[in-house]
Amino acid sequence: MGAKAIGPARGAVFLLLVGSLPFVGVQHWVLNMLVFTLMYAAMSSAWNLVGGLAGYPSLGHAAFFGIGAYIEAIWFQHHSVVSGYEPFYLLPLVGIVGAVIGYPFALVAMRTRADVFAIVTITLLFVGQTLAFNLTGLTGGAQGLAIPPAPFSADSFERPYYLVLLLLLAIAMGVTWLTMRSKVGLSLSAVRADEDKAAAIGVHVGGVKMLTFCVSVGITAMVGGVWAAYESFIYPQFAFDPLITIGIVLMTFLGGRGTLWGPVLGAFVLELAQQYLAYTLGGNEYYLIAYALVFLVVMLLMPRGILPTLQARLRSRRRRRAMPDDPVAEPAPPPIGSAADYAVSIPAPNGSER
Amino acid sequence: MTALLEVKDLHRSFGPVKAVDGASLTVDEGSVTALIGPNGSGKTTLFNLITGHLRPDGGSVRFGGADATTAGPAALHRRGLTRTFQQARIFPQLTVQENLVVASGFTWRELFGRRINPRDAEAAQRLLEEFRLAHVADLYAAELSYGQRKLLEFAAVLMSKPRLVLLDEPTAGVNPVLIETMEQHIRERNAAGITFLIVEHDMGFVMRLCDPVVVLDRGREIFVGTPAEVQQNPAVLDAYLGA
Ligand SMILES: Nc1ncnc2c1ncn2[C@@H]1O[C@H](COP(=O)(O)OP(=O)(O)OP(=O)(O)O)[C@@H](O)[C@H]1O
Ligand SMILES: [Mg+2]
Repeated sequence: MGAKAIGPARGAVFLLLVGSLPFVGVQHWVLNMLVFTLMYAAMSSAWNLVGGLAGYPSLGHAAFFGIGAYIEAIWFQHHSVVSGYEPFYLLPLVGIVGAVIGYPFALVAMRTRADVFAIVTITLLFVGQTLAFNLTGLTGGAQGLAIPPAPFSADSFERPYYLVLLLLLAIAMGVTWLTMRSKVGLSLSAVRADEDKAAAIGVHVGGVKMLTFCVSVGITAMVGGVWAAYESFIYPQFAFDPLITIGIVLMTFLGGRGTLWGPVLGAFVLELAQQYLAYTLGGNEYYLIAYALVFLVVMLLMPRGILPTLQARLRSRRRRRAMPDDPVAEPAPPPIGSAADYAVSIPAPNGSER
Repeated sequence: MTALLEVKDLHRSFGPVKAVDGASLTVDEGSVTALIGPNGSGKTTLFNLITGHLRPDGGSVRFGGADATTAGPAALHRRGLTRTFQQARIFPQLTVQENLVVASGFTWRELFGRRINPRDAEAAQRLLEEFRLAHVADLYAAELSYGQRKLLEFAAVLMSKPRLVLLDEPTAGVNPVLIETMEQHIRERNAAGITFLIVEHDMGFVMRLCDPVVVLDRGREIFVGTPAEVQQNPAVLDAYLGA
């Protein structure tokens, strides 16, 4: 019984610890850094549902981030911000609209797989950006859109955004946890392993894929909504940014895709490293090289990501102790697939700058 | 007996290779029918055509009295037709136990229930014990040996409640004791009303279990009869000796 409660307890402790930081006098620049870290943690965790559990490497998630941001911004062209909390009240709607837009898109895109799927989804990102630039009547085009800033006091300005993002992270992780423990998760694992075979033995392949995609992009859209309110000014190239997609994917791979904690760990490591390096290496772009180095070194040492590698080590050690002579107790072959099987599907970061 | 599966004049080529070239056969409800033939005679291709994994170039398939020529594998599974593969297709990233549970078929509501509930675990455990896989229940299927994978896929088929099961060389690489267990299972399931169509090279297995036997050569059937008749038929011997 005790073991059963460990998962949720670990989650609660993590959320409480992280949630207490804005109340213990942490400096603004640190909180600001953590706001972005939580943003990426929530999005990586949501992406992991599709990219990790279902094995569909979406590169289009940043499009839903942008959609969420623009829904918020457009809404507050016609409504006023009084208490500052109004943008948060709008989030459920943002999530639903994101999911509803995601549905027909997934219906088409999820007929393709692997690298083709990655390319089809990244198209959505550029379509979104183009629309945001050109539907000037709605989006203001290149001028961007402003959301009236919230009248929060300066010494705790980050706090509400921080806490709402933490809530979104908790939702993403909660959904992941529930999914993994249910037959939805079992079905997704089968889809990832061999989708045709899964369909042929009666797994509701289409249903679980659609459901997962819609939930995932719904959460992503809500993160975009919070971001828009936090920045209070958005532009097409930052709302629909390939770098966001790349960040999400790298973080999930680094921490370990298909695991509950991997994407969160990856986001904390990479986002904090990036912000720290940008801060210490200053105004030049060398920090991007250092950032890439962090990623490369970890992936070379742990090609399946940090958590799966540690778990596999623990597992084989435990088993060796349990049955020392069993020939099957050799180190397990990669259960979650190595990063290599996505190698073709993830364009290098510089590929997106063309 | 009525025909559960009727295959008429099926054709399928891969470039110049006519893998299935005018094959016809009938599987009667309640039978255990064998499909034998030399290597490359088109047995697996015929299975792929019947189960919707491949589209035929010509001909027709009827299953349970309705057309099934263009139906996909998922639709046919819903109608009660399931199969195993010559190269066992299990889910390597799922545990052995999970491989069985995922094959048991669940409703939309069950989808949101526990990944493995006690009832699933019990049903899986029973089969795993019989096939001597209980001690590897929690290993990833990727860690199984070739023979163990064949057993696992066979056991997984038994988790659902099909009308017709197609087995592609179920005994290849499986040890003799477990082959007997398989035979026993096929007999039991057959007595309970499940029909089997089995591709098999192990003639002992075919003789003990199957009737009738359909012989395929170069993509079409050349003989149908009881096991004893097949063994004495000169055309069959010719086909096997490569005349
Ligand atoms: N996907 C494919 N592409 C090209 N040729 C194929 C394909 N599948 C089968 N063939 C060819 O079709 C012919 C029949 O193959 P098939 O696998 O059906 O034979 P089989 O009777 O199952 O043989 P075995 O007893 O060795 O399993 C072979 O010549 C094979 O090379
Ligand atoms: Mg074959």
